[in-house]
Amino acid sequence: MSGLVLSHISKGFKSGKVLQDVSLDVNAGEIVAIVGPSGTGKTVLLRIIAGLQEPDGGTVSIDGVDMTDAAPESRGIGMAFQNFALFPHFNAFDNIGSPLTARHIPAASLKEKVGVVAKLLKIDHVLGHAPRELSNGQKQRTALARALVAQPKVLLLDDPLRNVDAKLRYEMRLELPRLLRSYNAAVIYVTQDYKEAMALGDRIAVLRGGRIEQWAPPRDVYATPASVEVAKLFGDPTINLLPSTVEQGGIQILGRRVSAPDASGPVLAGLRPEHLTVSRIEIPDGIPCELDAVMPVNVRSVLYLRGPAGEEILATVGESEAVKFGRDHRQVWVDFAPEHVLLFDAATGARIGHQAH
Amino acid sequence: MATLLLDNVTKVYRPRGKAPVEAVKRVRLDVKDGEIVALLGSSGCGKTSMLRMIAGFEDVTEGAIKIDGKEIHRLPPAERDVAMAFEGYSLYPPLKVKENIGFALLRQRGAGTDIDARVKEIASLLEISDVLDRYPSVLSAGQQQRTSLARALIRRAPVSLLDEPMSQLEPQLRAILRARLKDYLIAHKMTTVFVTHDQTEAIALADRIAVMEKGELQQFGTPDEIKQSPNNLFVASFVGEPPMNIFAGEVIAARDGVALTGFGPDGKPAFALAAPGLELDASRSRKVHIGIRPHLIQTGTGASDATGRVITNHWLGDQSHICFDVGGATVVGVTDKPLAAKPGDALPVRFPLRAIHLFDPETGDALAHGLERTR
Repeated sequence: MSGLVLSHISKGFKSGKVLQDVSLDVNAGEIVAIVGPSGTGKTVLLRIIAGLQEPDGGTVSIDGVDMTDAAPESRGIGMAFQNFALFPHFNAFDNIGSPLTARHIPAASLKEKVGVVAKLLKIDHVLGHAPRELSNGQKQRTALARALVAQPKVLLLDDPLRNVDAKLRYEMRLELPRLLRSYNAAVIYVTQDYKEAMALGDRIAVLRGGRIEQWAPPRDVYATPASVEVAKLFGDPTINLLPSTVEQGGIQILGRRVSAPDASGPVLAGLRPEHLTVSRIEIPDGIPCELDAVMPVNVRSVLYLRGPAGEEILATVGESEAVKFGRDHRQVWVDFAPEHVLLFDAATGARIGHQAH
Repeated sequence: MATLLLDNVTKVYRPRGKAPVEAVKRVRLDVKDGEIVALLGSSGCGKTSMLRMIAGFEDVTEGAIKIDGKEIHRLPPAERDVAMAFEGYSLYPPLKVKENIGFALLRQRGAGTDIDARVKEIASLLEISDVLDRYPSVLSAGQQQRTSLARALIRRAPVSLLDEPMSQLEPQLRAILRARLKDYLIAHKMTTVFVTHDQTEAIALADRIAVMEKGELQQFGTPDEIKQSPNNLFVASFVGEPPMNIFAGEVIAARDGVALTGFGPDGKPAFALAAPGLELDASRSRKVHIGIRPHLIQTGTGASDATGRVITNHWLGDQSHICFDVGGATVVGVTDKPLAAKPGDALPVRFPLRAIHLFDPETGDALAHGLERTR
């Protein structure tokens, strides 16, 4: 197949295993987002793909050819990093063109190729500038242009938007999919920001402790997380997690009984803030809670609630509703639909009912 | 616990051999007793200078600062009744976390016996209970920041000053810690001024937000006022995620109100809207900037003002961000339901008039908000 295939990659250092049995495939034209906390092996994985580090086991193949032992420069890989890594003594044009000059490409062709990618990234007006004269956003665009200019088969982007401000980050989030698709590379996009991963990734690999904990389309990672840790990584505000114990095929959540036929023993019941409804007037079977603080966000407001047994709960409501709740502590009534409850095994963290891939 | 007044405060820095810099220009802020106020702006806007003047680490060049009506800006910091959490944490290295936090209470008379209990309470609120017996040097940046925050909050001082209190916070903790912090500040009626560059944080925590730019106060209002009626283009484009859509546009007087045209980046007309009932000085045609808040844009079904060709459609689990090409202009909309649309699909797009803001293209000042309301 055309694209990148990683099979059963493992890597250890003296300090222990960094990657264990990592298998992934990225089609040409596809973006795979890798999400995980820091220190989870993301950078080592990129270095193995790039050929800067050798795996202990497993293979890296590109367009159907085993590249595990190939030299980095023969792999057809472009890279961009969060710290830009531009050559400070080159201007933007020379930075972008550097992968081509290394290959002794004729000047006219070089100029054309740099021009095309610079225009796509909207930096054609600053090509004569040195990196220190560029804004952070322009630096990042220059680094991206350099990664793309040689039309790599595989593009590795290591948290490239980390150091640009929120507005530019958002702009790039809208711009990147189209841009990357037009180059038809197999793209690996590493990020710690779940929204970026969901927006950009056709599929997402959640890496934790050197293993792939979940490998699925964004929608599935959010709706049916493999584990409690994945559920916590995806979602803002973070998912509410309420400890409970299964008795007679059911559990108590905020004093309400919910059936849990597949579960047993201690569990964590996960309820996403957007799946709670909150009412200022008493509703039938509503769960009485104390509202302690209202925090507007952009489109919605987050309500900080205390459940019947003092449980801390966050719920989101529409922006226009939030104003009505006022500033002081007050009683409210909370409701949720049982089908929105995600159950996790309290000991292992695995979601109950989740099929490992 | 106290009122705070910044009375036309100006700060001029005079670096040796360089031109003087006016970092804060005649800013007036009145903070009510128990109110939480955010100083919001990008780096260099003067927000931190303001906080440091209140704390007493910087002189006030002109104007006065009053706490409970009493001028304090000539007093040494320790006599001002303020507690401050620093952006750089400034923890005492030889003291354990719990000693760092409790330190401020030692000289507070009457605090005596319940210091331990209060340290435990604030530590649990900020999720640092498990590191109370450690030294600052072994903590993560996030934990150091929360320790510094705890040390300021535990005092329940008449005025609390927090400099970027949550910038290092782990994303999974952010929402819940903001919630607990806001609850704590309100419960103890703490007058609080905090500095942030993060508009989300300002909106979430503050009763009122002072938006700063180039040393000048752009707007001082509730989160709702800042969002619904931004004073100018700067405030409008600084607050909101995704940011407000802004287009060059033109208003022409129509029989019943005005007609609006929005332009694409190429200067060609991209969409047209009628705003019946809007009275605007537009006897002739008038250039404006049109701002449209993303999450009020409607799409998918129903009546439309224009056709949008989908550029990207991102479902983020609880909301969709859709980027459209509308007649050459790029428009971002947010919906809270997933939308089955692929890049290239054409969808009806509706701009409700209440989503629309008009600004003067030269001064940036707001001309009209939520056009329906003027009806």
